Amino acid sequence: MSVLASIDLNTLGDAFGLGAIYALMAVGIGLVFGVLRLVNFAYGQLIMAGAYTLAYTTSWPVTASIVACFAVVVALSLAMDRLVFRPLRSSSPAVMLVTTFAVSFLLQAVALIIDLRDGTLGEVASAVAPLNQAITVGGVDIRKVTFVAVGVALGALVALALVLARTTIGLHTRAAASDFRTARLLGVRANRVIGFAVVVSGLLAGAVAVLLTVQNPFVQPAFALEDTIVVLVGVVVGGIDRLWTATLGGFAIGFVSVLVNAALPTDQTIFLPSVVYALVIVVLLLRPAGLFAWGRRAAMERV
Amino acid sequence: MPEAAALELDEVEVRYGSVSAVRNLSLRVGKAEIVGLIGPNGAGKSTTLHAVMGLLPAHRGEIRLHGQPLRRRSAESIARAGIALVPEGRRIFGDFTVEENLRLGLAARRKGYMGDPLAPAFELFPVLREFRRRPAGALSGGQQQQLAIGRALVSRPDILLLDEPSLGLAPLAVDGIFKAFTEIREVGTTILLVEQRAQRTVALASRTHVLVGGELRMTLGPADAEDTEKIIAAYLAS
Amino acid sequence: MRLPFDALTELLGPALLVILVGALATTASASNEGYFLNALVSVSVVVAIYVFVGISGVLSFGQISFVAVGAFAAGVMSVPVESKKGVLTSIFPFLRDHSVGNVPSLLLAAALGGAFAFLVGMPLMRLSGLAAGIATFAVLEITHNVLREWDKIGPGATTLALVPETTGALQATLGALVAIVVAFLYQRSRRGRLLRASREDPAVARSVGVNIHLERLLAFTLSGALAGFAGGLYVHLLGSITTEQVYLELTFLTLAMLVIGGLTSLWGAVIGALAVSGLDSFLSRAEQSGVHVVYTFNLWEGTRLVFLAAIMALVLIVRPSGLTGGREFRLRRIPWRGRWAGASPKPPG
Repeated sequence: MSVLASIDLNTLGDAFGLGAIYALMAVGIGLVFGVLRLVNFAYGQLIMAGAYTLAYTTSWPVTASIVACFAVVVALSLAMDRLVFRPLRSSSPAVMLVTTFAVSFLLQAVALIIDLRDGTLGEVASAVAPLNQAITVGGVDIRKVTFVAVGVALGALVALALVLARTTIGLHTRAAASDFRTARLLGVRANRVIGFAVVVSGLLAGAVAVLLTVQNPFVQPAFALEDTIVVLVGVVVGGIDRLWTATLGGFAIGFVSVLVNAALPTDQTIFLPSVVYALVIVVLLLRPAGLFAWGRRAAMERV
Repeated sequence: MPEAAALELDEVEVRYGSVSAVRNLSLRVGKAEIVGLIGPNGAGKSTTLHAVMGLLPAHRGEIRLHGQPLRRRSAESIARAGIALVPEGRRIFGDFTVEENLRLGLAARRKGYMGDPLAPAFELFPVLREFRRRPAGALSGGQQQQLAIGRALVSRPDILLLDEPSLGLAPLAVDGIFKAFTEIREVGTTILLVEQRAQRTVALASRTHVLVGGELRMTLGPADAEDTEKIIAAYLAS
Repeated sequence: MRLPFDALTELLGPALLVILVGALATTASASNEGYFLNALVSVSVVVAIYVFVGISGVLSFGQISFVAVGAFAAGVMSVPVESKKGVLTSIFPFLRDHSVGNVPSLLLAAALGGAFAFLVGMPLMRLSGLAAGIATFAVLEITHNVLREWDKIGPGATTLALVPETTGALQATLGALVAIVVAFLYQRSRRGRLLRASREDPAVARSVGVNIHLERLLAFTLSGALAGFAGGLYVHLLGSITTEQVYLELTFLTLAMLVIGGLTSLWGAVIGALAVSGLDSFLSRAEQSGVHVVYTFNLWEGTRLVFLAAIMALVLIVRPSGLTGGREFRLRRIPWRGRWAGASPKPPG
């Protein structure tokens, strides 16, 4: 009971907020994995690039700043696909993953050079900061960004679910994720499907950049790096073979991190990572195909 | 000068590494014709279909669609050029609905068709219309094969390649799909049929080629269908 | 164990290359020597990772945990007793009151690395694929978290300093040679060949009675011991260390070295470690003062990492099987090439 007692509505709000943001990142990573079988470690640097764009356009009107953020992230996502993912399409998973490490370091190194032009490390993205203010709901202070994050995540997930279920490109994407060879045999255009996944994944990274800079307006080259690692862990724990289990995994790891943090005694929170990662190991040992991967053929359909 | 064949293989050789699976294979399939390809396991029948579809490169020789060479085109572009393959093992998407599976077939359809795009499948196999909302994995084996053929037909192909469509089906279901092949030909579609049921294939097709060890051994006509000994001899001729 | 001529060249190639780098280190100026020593310690770390990842084919992000354990064990136990009371104030008394010499500290590092790997590996070696990758990554996170926060076993979040800098040219070279010889003997042994066979085809290996779990655990433990040993060499090279130096960046860099060299061969591990270290050293020099090789390379400040990452990505895109193609060192190119890079090839004719 002591664990539950230490969790108040405020914490719950934060847990939903972070879970929602991580769920969006999980979709972005899971969608590209579905069609390319590639774990994109450099996903965090798309978000970082978006955050820098927000920082450098702080003087612009908010809408223009956000549009610029999306434009930069999507363009970078497409460039990554063209220059890195496509040439690697037939390589082994280890090679693809390690190449995205290199891309991740490359983008961080470039960001560092751009950032240091003004002589100081880090930039402040404050255009959307007002969302960080708290509003009072039933006597409890909850930050506005929590509602925005949950709203954006739900909206984006519902929209994506509809596109995947109802449109031709959605059908083709699901088919490609399930059995790429047969999909191509039927005339599904591989490049179009991959392009779709890459653009949507970029759009989601743009949205995450906006939401994360509200919580933490201080942007530096390692921005979103740690979040990406945590989400990658969550995605595999949830079950990377299907988009929805991956998304749930992303949500769960964000949600649980906040709750465990609140439940641990104050002087023990330093061991939070150990507790969370020990849980990760236990879950992987019990359900190696994914926590949420129920059913007969866990790996049949991957989106 | 004679009209170009719908599909033509000209001295085609296909290799897996240093082993050639198909050697010096030439054959012609005319418009609205059914041509059979039979032979023992490992004779190179599926390999031939895969080469036509662009899934395997032809090491030598040429494959032509309406006289146009298909060299170095990807499977997806060959599909959109009017060749549809019903692969061995059906390869339907079990978690998708029947209708979604059929709609995937539309990916290769060329422009200019009116009306219900799924009609070619529904007219031939009414059961697919009835079960259109069900997950494809819940269909029986025969129905799944009908779905796989229907999915190929909705792309309105000029040429239908069938890879052992009767494999693993109950006798009644086999009757059903063989009857369908005749109907498919009647609307003007060309069929290249790879089969293990030699006698039925020889009876149905205008010509049936026997492939043994990657090479064309013999060509049989419908009149040979009753001549069981001749068919067996063709298989053993190595 | 039979060691035909081709097998010996497989060992001699990497060994002679390492000795050459060691020899160059002794002739280099004091400011350049560090680059060579660093490259040699990188060889030890990457060969340790290769022993598990390369031979078993299972991805692990956790091997740097064992480097970290080895580095801190060797480091903490090598700081002279009289200095410890001042720098490691909250440490357990029995750790505070004892110190060991250089070689015992390296053996201790290897033993602890191996023991830790064995304990972790027992449950984890049942996993494969991405699940194994993430579970071993979780081990890295937990190791880093505990080393960083628990100041009774080490310096915690502060820097561990005053470690004797005993990893000179001789020790770095010998250390790398030890790692190479152990890896070579293992991959040539029956067990090593069984594990490699299981990488090619787990189902077949299982069907002929190979206990994959056990074979993987053995490789993981051996890899952990070599990684701990390499961690000992590393801390004795640096003289001072923080937990951040044996964490994410080192994990990614060493894995990149292995993949760039060629994941599936010992030769690839050595070449990858030396090539990437060499490139990094070259770029650092070019950034600091310019390097003259035919043309004077003079890098704009801060661009070293950009070039390093870009070249690594480019190599992987152009040559996904690595610089060596994942093959072992051979004196002459023989037309027959085994499916298993480690299997003894028959001499032609």
